[in-house]
Amino acid sequence: MSKLYTFLKYFFITFWTVFVVAPFLWAVSTSFKDFQSVNSKVTYIPWLDFEPTLEGWRVLIKSPAKGGVDIVEPYFNSIFVTCTASLISIVLGTLAAYALSRFTFKAGFVRNNDITFFFISQRIMPPIVLSIPFFIFLSTIGLLDSLLGLVVVYIVLLMPIAVWIMVDFFNRVPKELDETALIDGCNPYQAFYKVVLPNSIPGLIVAGMFCIIFGWIDFFFAFILTFTEVQLLPVKVVALNSSITPWWSLSASALVSVAPLIIVAFIVERYLSKGNLSGALK
Amino acid sequence: MEEQMAKIDLSNISHTYNPLDPKPTYALNPFSMTWENGKRYAILGPSGCGKTTMLNIVSGLVRPSKGEILFDETPVTDLKTEDRNIAQVFQFPVIYNTMTVYDNLAFPLRCREFTKEKIEERVKAVSDTLNLSSFLNSPARKLTADQKQLISLGRGLVREDVAAVLMDEPLTVIDPDLKFRLRRNLKEINEQYKTTLVYVTHDQNEAMTFAENIIVMDQGEIVQVGLPKDLFEKPKTTFVGYFIGSPAMNIFQSTVSSDHEVKINDTTIKTNSNLGNLKDKNVKLGIRSEFIELAEREKSNTVKIKLTRVEDFGNFKLLTGKMGDLVIKSKVEREKPIPDGELNLYFPPEKCCVYSDEKLV
Repeated sequence: MSKLYTFLKYFFITFWTVFVVAPFLWAVSTSFKDFQSVNSKVTYIPWLDFEPTLEGWRVLIKSPAKGGVDIVEPYFNSIFVTCTASLISIVLGTLAAYALSRFTFKAGFVRNNDITFFFISQRIMPPIVLSIPFFIFLSTIGLLDSLLGLVVVYIVLLMPIAVWIMVDFFNRVPKELDETALIDGCNPYQAFYKVVLPNSIPGLIVAGMFCIIFGWIDFFFAFILTFTEVQLLPVKVVALNSSITPWWSLSASALVSVAPLIIVAFIVERYLSKGNLSGALK
Repeated sequence: MEEQMAKIDLSNISHTYNPLDPKPTYALNPFSMTWENGKRYAILGPSGCGKTTMLNIVSGLVRPSKGEILFDETPVTDLKTEDRNIAQVFQFPVIYNTMTVYDNLAFPLRCREFTKEKIEERVKAVSDTLNLSSFLNSPARKLTADQKQLISLGRGLVREDVAAVLMDEPLTVIDPDLKFRLRRNLKEINEQYKTTLVYVTHDQNEAMTFAENIIVMDQGEIVQVGLPKDLFEKPKTTFVGYFIGSPAMNIFQSTVSSDHEVKINDTTIKTNSNLGNLKDKNVKLGIRSEFIELAEREKSNTVKIKLTRVEDFGNFKLLTGKMGDLVIKSKVEREKPIPDGELNLYFPPEKCCVYSDEKLV
């Protein structure tokens, strides 16, 4: 029985690993191919099956004038927009979440839970519903097709995630911790940043990770709210496609697009596995 | 350092958690009380009787709906918690997870901007008292639950200038042996530094052994304040009689038959209470099982019971018997031979308490 269990366990782990890793390997190998190697017979191993070339990668940094697509600028745009919006969302979201977790709000029939739900309900709507109001809003304040405009929109999209995760996290940080800090002589602000916040780092990291992921992968709003001045990575990658699908450069751009997320995942995983997620009280 | 300990006055305090309700329910009914400087108090009562609310009012975590708090005659009702100079320890250990044990203990002093040398000296003294010296540099979160509670306690004791240390069932998570030692430590600290200690508990033994004064509470009401001996021998209400002592006080429905006598079923019991104006009224007679004696034969103030159970507790025997449908419990010495079947129990008149409307006559 236990042998069968072990076998099944390893079988499924292996299966899943192949399922996850194979597309990456396929993309890596494809990114080094040229038109010839992609469109002739099926090939896998460089140098044996096909002659590797860096053409797929070179296109990404060559300027359009020289027949390239230049994803360097959109890449940095994406990093800037994602990081700025995530940071602001985390800061504002954490403060909002702390208030929602610690104070009781009443306005008519509205209570704390309703406010939290109001935040997250922004994400329940299909993005298409938001696109027209956002478009009109940004064009009114003159931020259409600008990095700042995108940051504003992304804060609206990311802050609910931060609030939602952090409310839940703060609710699990016992209020006795804040009270103890007050008794020990902190004022409420010191209690928050000296005691509660350091205890909430795992929550901040999880919230930050979600914000970065959702900010980084967004295509829809980046596509609708920008035209020529500013472009984000997902839009640029899609724009790579043409009548002849350039599998090599698409693969290369896919790899560089997921690279930051993989790095983030590794950092977060290391931090979380330290066991810091366990609560302050036991 | 300047001594800042204070007499704490609670004047006409009452509190409700739903003040906007037209008919609010009170967690604490109006009361006044004074905590003398340097004494040890225990607040005793069942869960939800308002003990914690009272502590939170003193420490400033809760603002009382009505009434005033004074430290040494100075009103502090509107003073914020951080300005009140009160230490409070909660039921479950609260530690700053991200700091070392040393930083945890030093935190209250750092918040109040003590000098580095002073902090070092105090942390060392407290960690010695609490056996934490060898852990000072470990991360606090790595300690066991009872060690964590010691840290919470240590943060309360590290400040010499506190007006009072309030403890909300602080020893719940600590094992019995260490509990005993810690209670003694707390007593020593109290005697040495003359820090007022207020200790909330629902364990009467803890309260009895720890405190000089016990405050018994029930349903937001202070029922009795007194020395352990008073609470045991002359409980002011039947609730105190039930709540203090193990087993609880024997309490019987009875009728007043003369100025000093009550009738239980058909047996007349003499008491030392003056029952002149309660003639023929229904009252309750209470007597501790410790005070009921075995009698050789029927005489005045004895009741005849049918023995239903004998439990041997090692140092004493607990007899349970029935008189009609009344259950009587009596503690007797272990060596005493217990006759089978029917036996006579003697109620010493001076130990009988009579309760009218649940209050001591």
